[in-house]
Amino acid sequence: MTMRNGTVSVHHLRKMFYDESRGEVKAVDGVSFSCGAGEVFGLLGANGAGKTTTLRMLSTVLKPTGGTASVMGHDVLSDPEAVRRSLGFYSASTALYPRLTGRETLNFFARINHYPGDRVAARVKDLIERFGIEEYANARVEKLSSGMKQKVSIARTIAHDPPVLIFDEPTVGLDVLNALEMVKVIRELRAEGKTIIFSSHIMSEVEKLCDRIAIVHRGRLLALGTLESLREATDQHYLEDIFVHYVTKAEGLDGAVVGAMGELEEAP
Amino acid sequence: MARLQATEGCATAAFRVDRTVVVWPLWSGSNPAASDSCFRRCAMNLRDIWILYTMELRSALRERSIVVNSILMPIFLYPVLLWVMFSTMTFIQGLNQGFTSRIALAGDPPFGHEALIDSLAARDDVLLDRELGVGEAISRLQTGELDALISFAPPTEEGAALTGNFLVDVDYDSSESRSRTAVSRIRDEVQAYRIQWISRERESLGITSEEGALFRISDENVSSQEDLGTLILGMMIPLFLSIMVALGCFFPAVDTTAGERERSTWETLMTTSASRLSVVAAKYLYVATMGVSAGVLNVLAIFVSIGAVMAPLLAQTEGITFRLPFLAVPVMMVGAITLALMLSAGMMILAAFARTFKDGQAMVQPVYFLAIIIPLLLGQQTDRTLTAGIAAIPVANVAMMIRDAINEIYLWEHIFQAMSVNLVVVVFCLWLARFVLRFEDILMGSFDGSFWRFAKDRMRPWGKQKETA
Repeated sequence: MTMRNGTVSVHHLRKMFYDESRGEVKAVDGVSFSCGAGEVFGLLGANGAGKTTTLRMLSTVLKPTGGTASVMGHDVLSDPEAVRRSLGFYSASTALYPRLTGRETLNFFARINHYPGDRVAARVKDLIERFGIEEYANARVEKLSSGMKQKVSIARTIAHDPPVLIFDEPTVGLDVLNALEMVKVIRELRAEGKTIIFSSHIMSEVEKLCDRIAIVHRGRLLALGTLESLREATDQHYLEDIFVHYVTKAEGLDGAVVGAMGELEEAP
Repeated sequence: MARLQATEGCATAAFRVDRTVVVWPLWSGSNPAASDSCFRRCAMNLRDIWILYTMELRSALRERSIVVNSILMPIFLYPVLLWVMFSTMTFIQGLNQGFTSRIALAGDPPFGHEALIDSLAARDDVLLDRELGVGEAISRLQTGELDALISFAPPTEEGAALTGNFLVDVDYDSSESRSRTAVSRIRDEVQAYRIQWISRERESLGITSEEGALFRISDENVSSQEDLGTLILGMMIPLFLSIMVALGCFFPAVDTTAGERERSTWETLMTTSASRLSVVAAKYLYVATMGVSAGVLNVLAIFVSIGAVMAPLLAQTEGITFRLPFLAVPVMMVGAITLALMLSAGMMILAAFARTFKDGQAMVQPVYFLAIIIPLLLGQQTDRTLTAGIAAIPVANVAMMIRDAINEIYLWEHIFQAMSVNLVVVVFCLWLARFVLRFEDILMGSFDGSFWRFAKDRMRPWGKQKETA
């Protein structure tokens, strides 16, 4: 599998859990990839495929059972605080503090993530203007509409101006307009040179946004490449068909991983 | 072992907690870059703790239940509770005094002692029935329609030797307060009649009252009304203070752990660059602050309300006066602070296992009850002071120390011992919190169970020691 020297580097990452009824569960099983600045990297997989666990390990919320990962050169195990300073994490499970105002929220996340203290006020002002939340900036988050909350939430993710951003199923629960707004923001952030890891199970979003796509199934990376390369490798046009192709193949060929360019590699 | 180090324009102190080296920035010069670098190298730094702590406080002070329980209740509950308590006592006392005792008389009074029955019948609070038969009277006594039945019998043994002596036999129902009051009224009447009769007989024999009183007990209560006030304060203040500190810690401890999980802000916090140690330290300081503020506000409320509310309230009925020694106030403050440090640590550990606010409340209840029951039981032991044994029991040592201080007893050696024990408990709880949070499933809220299950499964060498998804 082709590896790049990028801002995010994941190598044979594994995570095992213990479940009382199922025993040892491999949530992530030897995932490797890397991505660079100005790239939107998509993690595509069904629910429970291991996308969120992978991203949680990358954001140091969970510790890997095996393998390594680094963000901007900082190792997730040996320097987790530096890793978290270098990234912004957005997901449906990362809510906002309801009793703080939008302005206080941005201020807090900029400061706690060590954005230079003398520039915090200006940064908060910029973000409020950029996301058009001036009118609601001093209202408590709990009083905001879901659309406004979403804007504040994205703003807090980038409050400390991190070079790497993780969006884990960011459009779950959003209406069409808010989902489109989210896609627009991600494109803008890519244009600013951010490294973006975008996880979703919605094919159309991944197709529209991602420069490269990794297909994840049962904790394993089945394929990785640009949409075009995946099309070539599978002889399928639509991402949905490509996804089904790899998943079906993986179910039949247990113990093997299909590479992005069509070659067959042994699972790590 | 602690280690001091000065590098790259900043000074740090490093010490070991569990298996983690904790580095505290002490000084970082005037260079902002060096300062930033200094802070960034620290596993737990004061700047992060301060940012998290102020955020927690700001957020908490906007939550009604926390403000009510940690600030308003300690200030206003104390005088209000006392007012309600004494008003209720006065009301019940009035009710008891107001009702009429229904007493039946079986048979005739002994010859020459009819005056006893006349005096009983003359009382406004007694209704005497002379017509009721014994069987009917017992039956009514059992159904609560009658309060007492009097019958007279000849005395036995030594009493029988005295001419004209008799025995008053009273049947009553001890489970009914009306019935107990009726017996008390009969006793008062018989006692008064006996004194009168003896006095009359003595005079007829030509014996003066001085000659008649050969052996008697002369007693004098040397305790002042102020001493009685101190006794009451010593029983009440440790209990109330303990309740208030526990209440002050209770909601913040649940809110900052289980509440965060319920609101899905926990994971947001975990993705910030603050270290886990900093997060735990900030949350602990926040809960302890709320507990301490509840305790301190309560102490101040007690101090103010003694003069303004309690004294006039009690003076109306008992004439008791209250005084709180000046030195007792700092002792109470120190007691409230150590109690808050202990309770907040204990409550946070238990609440860390909850996924919802409701679960958290249920899990923290044991600590809350412990904080109430221990001072409540000690309150009954009014003749005890702080000993080496009691000083070794957390919560009990604070309650006893405060009661001693109210009584102007300052056993400094034991107070120091008690504070040392409490600090050891706090350090142990913090170590335990750190140990518990090493497990990712507990950190992320996917562990399905309470602290007790965790202790059973993972704190034994033969436990499972495996994390769940």
